[in-house]
Amino acid sequence: MNRAIPWLLLSLAVLLFGPGPAAAQQAEADPAAIVQKFGGKQSFDATEAVIAELAATGDERVARALRALRDGDLYWRESDEAVFVATRKGGDYEIFDPITGASAGTVPSGDLQKVRVKNSIRNAVTGALGTLTLRADNPAQRMRAASTLFSEADPEMIGPLDAAIAAEEDAAVKARMEEARASAVLASDLPAEDKAAAAKVLAGRADRESLTMLIRFAGATDDPVARQAAEAAIVAIQNNIAFWNQMQNVWYGLSLGSVLLLAAIGLAITFGVMGVINMAHGEMVMLGAYTTFVVQEFIRNNAPGLFEWSLAIALPLAFLVSGAVGLVMERGLIRFLYGRPLETLLATFGVSLILQQAVRTIFGPSNRQVGNPDWMSGAFDVGLMSVTWNRLWIIVFALVVFLALLAVLNRTPLGLQMRAVTQNRRMAAAMGIRTPWVDAMTFALGSGIAGIAGVALSQIDNVSPNLGQSYIIDSFLVVVFGGVGNLWGTLVGAMSLGVVNKFLEPYAGAVLGKIVVLVLIILFIQKRPRGLFAQKGRFVDA
Amino acid sequence: MILARFLGPRVWILVAVILAAAVLVPMANLGLPRDHPLHVPSYAVQLWGRFVCYALLALALDLVWGYVGILSLGHGAFFALGGYAMGMYLMRQIGARGGYGNPVLPDFMVSLNWKELPWYWYGFDQFWFACLMVVLVPGLLAFVFGFFAFRSRVTGVYLSIITQAMTYALLLAFFRNDMGFGGNNGLTDFKDILGFPIQAVSTRAALFAASCVALAIGVLLVGWITRSKLGKLMIAVRDAESRTRFIGWRPEYVKLFAFTVSGVMAGVAGALYVPQVGIINPGEFSPLNSIEVVIWAAVGGRGTLIGPVLGALLVNYGKTIFTTVWPETWLFLLGGLFVFVTLLLPRGIVGTIDHGFDAFRATRRARDAEKGEAAGAVPNPAE
Amino acid sequence: MVETKVAGKVAGDVHTLTTPQGSGPGKPVRNAAEAAGPRPVEERSRGPGERAVVEPGPAGPQAESSHREPDVSPHPYAALMRERRLAAEAEGRARRDTLLYLSGVTKSFDGFKAINNLSLVIEKGEMRAIIGPNGAGKTTMMDIITGKTRPDRGEVFFNGDVDLTHHDEAAIASMGIGRKFQKPTVFESHTVEDNIRLSLSGPRSVLEALVHRKDEAERERIEAILETTRLTDKRKTFAANLSHGQKQWLEIGMLLAQDPELLLVDEPVAGMTDAETEETARLLREIAATRSVVVVEHDMSFVRALGVKVTCLHEGSVLSEGSLDKVSNDPKVIEVYLGR
Repeated sequence: MNRAIPWLLLSLAVLLFGPGPAAAQQAEADPAAIVQKFGGKQSFDATEAVIAELAATGDERVARALRALRDGDLYWRESDEAVFVATRKGGDYEIFDPITGASAGTVPSGDLQKVRVKNSIRNAVTGALGTLTLRADNPAQRMRAASTLFSEADPEMIGPLDAAIAAEEDAAVKARMEEARASAVLASDLPAEDKAAAAKVLAGRADRESLTMLIRFAGATDDPVARQAAEAAIVAIQNNIAFWNQMQNVWYGLSLGSVLLLAAIGLAITFGVMGVINMAHGEMVMLGAYTTFVVQEFIRNNAPGLFEWSLAIALPLAFLVSGAVGLVMERGLIRFLYGRPLETLLATFGVSLILQQAVRTIFGPSNRQVGNPDWMSGAFDVGLMSVTWNRLWIIVFALVVFLALLAVLNRTPLGLQMRAVTQNRRMAAAMGIRTPWVDAMTFALGSGIAGIAGVALSQIDNVSPNLGQSYIIDSFLVVVFGGVGNLWGTLVGAMSLGVVNKFLEPYAGAVLGKIVVLVLIILFIQKRPRGLFAQKGRFVDA
Repeated sequence: MILARFLGPRVWILVAVILAAAVLVPMANLGLPRDHPLHVPSYAVQLWGRFVCYALLALALDLVWGYVGILSLGHGAFFALGGYAMGMYLMRQIGARGGYGNPVLPDFMVSLNWKELPWYWYGFDQFWFACLMVVLVPGLLAFVFGFFAFRSRVTGVYLSIITQAMTYALLLAFFRNDMGFGGNNGLTDFKDILGFPIQAVSTRAALFAASCVALAIGVLLVGWITRSKLGKLMIAVRDAESRTRFIGWRPEYVKLFAFTVSGVMAGVAGALYVPQVGIINPGEFSPLNSIEVVIWAAVGGRGTLIGPVLGALLVNYGKTIFTTVWPETWLFLLGGLFVFVTLLLPRGIVGTIDHGFDAFRATRRARDAEKGEAAGAVPNPAE
Repeated sequence: MVETKVAGKVAGDVHTLTTPQGSGPGKPVRNAAEAAGPRPVEERSRGPGERAVVEPGPAGPQAESSHREPDVSPHPYAALMRERRLAAEAEGRARRDTLLYLSGVTKSFDGFKAINNLSLVIEKGEMRAIIGPNGAGKTTMMDIITGKTRPDRGEVFFNGDVDLTHHDEAAIASMGIGRKFQKPTVFESHTVEDNIRLSLSGPRSVLEALVHRKDEAERERIEAILETTRLTDKRKTFAANLSHGQKQWLEIGMLLAQDPELLLVDEPVAGMTDAETEETARLLREIAATRSVVVVEHDMSFVRALGVKVTCLHEGSVLSEGSLDKVSNDPKVIEVYLGR
């Protein structure tokens, strides 16, 4: 134990404090200020200079203002020479911020003056739009520009795109630019062959956006060649989307599975290894979640700078809090009930009621707010599916806890003693192992792990006194399904239950899906009462 | 077990007390003037009427837990199913008096824009049909569930957990609006039962009496079963299941019989409970409810007939007092009760008293036996 | 049976060496060998004596073979099938007269072979003692006979043709096999009398048990069993309050109440005093007068007191079998079990 805990904590800390988000803040000229230079009566040369200055910022947000300028939608207010994008709305104009695009109300038409443009200005804008973003030095920025152009599908940009594609060296960016060009081609009045080729390019991209684009195009075009190409592309894309939908389901399933694994893994120790049925296990999880809450409250009030570290601080504390409660339970209650599983069930259920009510009395019955540190927030895309950081970290975390527990069981003296005691208590005692001490430590370990699970679950679930109840039945089912006394079974059980649950949901709905899973498990237990990975042996059913 | 000899007179005393309550309480409620010292107020009749239903539920659980050793954490499901069957009858009795005035459809169906009554609501306008369903639906669920569970020899805590999962699954199912049982709100706003207004004092008194009669029948039924050879077999299964197998019995059928009878009793209890509280909702399926039943039986003394009845009445009376006076403390107390009973009072109140009495008898018999042994009839092996 | 197998083997082997069109000086010999098993004549006269005439090998039957040849089906597969059928029939005849017949039974748990190709025959009315060191598979063998465990391989027949591997514990118990566990297992919350009443042979349906009425015949049977097991004056005592030895006797009494043809008794005298042991030996001998009994026991003086045929198991198979003197002088037994 003494050797195991620091190791465990160290690995957890490393896990949680890996990469933070790289802050990509650069000092840049403020595009909003530059845009304002369009205001007032300006010479065409001055306007052209401002365009160049805007292009030099390399900030793609200025594209809105530039496009408005090109299309004659950029205005300045006579009263203060502030610059807006405006669209006609009845007799008045609705004005928008040129950078953010946020609405700034409506003004009578007399208040606004159009920023004057001529063809050379328009050409300058198109060029600037192209270089601004498509030719930027930073490939990520070029990528973003291409993505923006893709959704805009602006035929005017075909020229700059062609130029950019010719100059582009990064294959990924180039592909994205070609897609942008294809979307622009579909919207243009180029010949049908070009559009058919564009449809093929979009089929390669195969996401929902290109699907809508193609569907719209296929509905509108009257050229049979182009339509056929578009329809073929639509089928291809739909298949691709279906595939990614499945992947997303698998992902959600793994995510749910990792939550189940976290909730069940402590139980795999107390119930699976020791055979103690602890109905207060869910409350150990809840205590872990409330420990996180208390830690965050303390940090908010005393050391706000440490907030990013709050989970790392909460982890050992949650382990200790839940572990200590578990230790008290084992010494004060459960040890008197060994060999009487039904009585243990009832007594620990009583403890769960007491713990719930205690938390309710101290913290109130409503949900408490536990914040996500930055590195747990947000999401990113893989193919067509979206992956949230907190889910990803929880999967990683669950696996790390699992492996750490395996290591504790198989590589530490405590683990050895635990296995010895569970296999042959009397022999273990005869070998000089203090079996009561091992019992207590094992139970504390299982409870402490439940507390750690609570820290993780506080990130995705409501922290309320009922938190534990919602996991207890699922946890038991996972342990029983996976095979009692088998950690790997618990892993496979949790993951497969999670995935099956999520695959059923689209067909049956969340609640019915859960019911179906419950019924399936009940039927499964009929078939294999000892779980997926049953331990076999002469003495199993003795 | 110890009761075997004394079961006879005690069953009859218990039944007599229950039946006396069935007659006297309504009389004291309806017949005596309000200021009479023996007058029983109406709220008390309603309260104790509910407790009597709980007592029947606890007795049902005792049949499987106390006598066959099956700790069911899902008996609330049978109770609730019986309650829903009765609730459906009461819903149909509302008729056109509902908020939407639809003569056939209950209000919640109208608000869900349903046009027709679902097929499983057919027949519930008839009282006899509802009564049949009160018995059949929980009985069938218990039979099917028990058949699969016992046949595959799921025992001990595994069985407890899957019974809990069963009631949990039903809880989730009944929360759904499209199940057609009123979803979250359940069935309520009942008007009358068999033509009598359900709120009326006299109806309440009659329901109290009916609950007492049902409980008395339940006690006699359980008493009869447990005193028969089958009852002895049940205890044998509880104590040494594999031994019963090796002398040729099939413990799975013994368990199935007890579980089914118990499910039906729980269903009847639920059916009597619903008109007295005026509502049935999915909350009745919650696992907490089922596990509370276990503590009633445990407090009173499982494996006895009086125990669960006494336990249900005591614990629920205590709950009523505590939740009105110190609502915060009730869950602490309930939790403490679980710990206390399992740790210090595993036989329950009645069981402990019996055990003390039995120990006394055993010492006396041992003393008698000593005298006989002095004659030296058989070589008695040294202990 | 063994001979049949040998003959079949020879036939098969020879066939594989011969091309179907093969001719020349070797042919008659081959035919004779092929004919050895499958002949109709053989089927009728399967006595060992006659077999010996046919068997003597390639050299002997050369003269005979020439006139027998026409009857023989030349197809080797048919010959093989017939071989198997005959072997099965022979086996059937061999076990028909037995009460319990185990052949080639194997059962392993996680790779550990608790029972390894065990063959054992108990005749009707026989009493057999089984000895062997711990882990020899004695308890697993009883589990297999009583249906608690299914063997991986092998045959278990009761009364000649009831295949026990297809029945569960309750069915097997109802057929007439009673079992006493190593640790005395009685219904502790019931009186001695009720323990025996629950075990009495008779209908085993739940509803019958519900409406069952005690009658005179039942009372007499219980009385008789109490008498046999010396528990008459304990009839009203709860089984929990019996001494260890009395519990063992009660359990034996419960087996008697089942009225079985075969009793399996696992270590009946473990933990008993000498007086109790002696009494138990007497009890078992008394029972064995009317039924077959298999006793598993470590106590050699008890086994000697029983005075019956002994089988010594080791690592899941039969190590030695015979009278106690023969077995206890067997060097293998001394090596693994009795010690030098």
